[in-house]
Amino acid sequence: MVISNLEGEIASKEGERKRKRKGEVRPSQSKWRLDSEQKTYSSKLLEALRCVRAGAPAEPSRTRAVREAANRALAMAARGQTRWSRAILSSRTLKLTAAKRRRAAASRLKRSGGASQEKKRPPAIQRKARVLGKLVPGCRQLSFPKLLEETSDYIAALEMQVRAMSALSEILSSIGSGSGAPPPA
Amino acid sequence: MSSRRSRISEEEINELVSKLQSLLPEARRRGNNRASATKLLKETCSYIKSLHREVDDLSDRLSDLMAGMDNDSAQAEIIRSLLQS
Repeated sequence: MVISNLEGEIASKEGERKRKRKGEVRPSQSKWRLDSEQKTYSSKLLEALRCVRAGAPAEPSRTRAVREAANRALAMAARGQTRWSRAILSSRTLKLTAAKRRRAAASRLKRSGGASQEKKRPPAIQRKARVLGKLVPGCRQLSFPKLLEETSDYIAALEMQVRAMSALSEILSSIGSGSGAPPPA
Repeated sequence: MSSRRSRISEEEINELVSKLQSLLPEARRRGNNRASATKLLKETCSYIKSLHREVDDLSDRLSDLMAGMDNDSAQAEIIRSLLQS
């Protein structure tokens, strides 16, 4: 069987890509610093915002819709490689808010019930680690090393999200101030 | 699997947390001095919370700005090209 040179090259490049993907166990968080990544995210965000604009008219729910669209787009940019991103994509808002309320009620009961005389509190590090686990989506039950790994990626991603949303709001506000699209002919 | 509280040595914890340190703006300013793991964890939590707040504020701002946005694709193209610059 004769495989032309071009086909052979393509095949070997595919193999290389596949091999690279298999070797990459840890998600690379430096990708969040890339300009290209931010630009891709900004475009996706813009698309999502146009959909939100069409859908949600009322003021308070629109902010929430914007935030959720931004978070979903961010999670998708992670391409399924991190736990926090998968957690964002698989959670539905209504369920999440109801679950939060239940947890808040439960923890209030716990705090008022327990006596603070005995030193039964876990060490400071464990307490802080638990707080951290609550802040990063989907990471409550993770082991400490995994939690820190997810945290690193999550922080880098959030920073990119802030940069992209700031840039977008700059552009939108400058367009809004009248220096925008040319009038229709 | 992860519900079993396995004893990770304090050294391991310190090592992992010092890796985290490079991500925190405060810690970078401090010049990478050995801060305690507890302190770094606390800083990490407040940093994430402040990032969440920024995202909330920006969402608010974007939701206001969107009201002034036309839903035509010509304007979207302009915005997109500005984003790519």
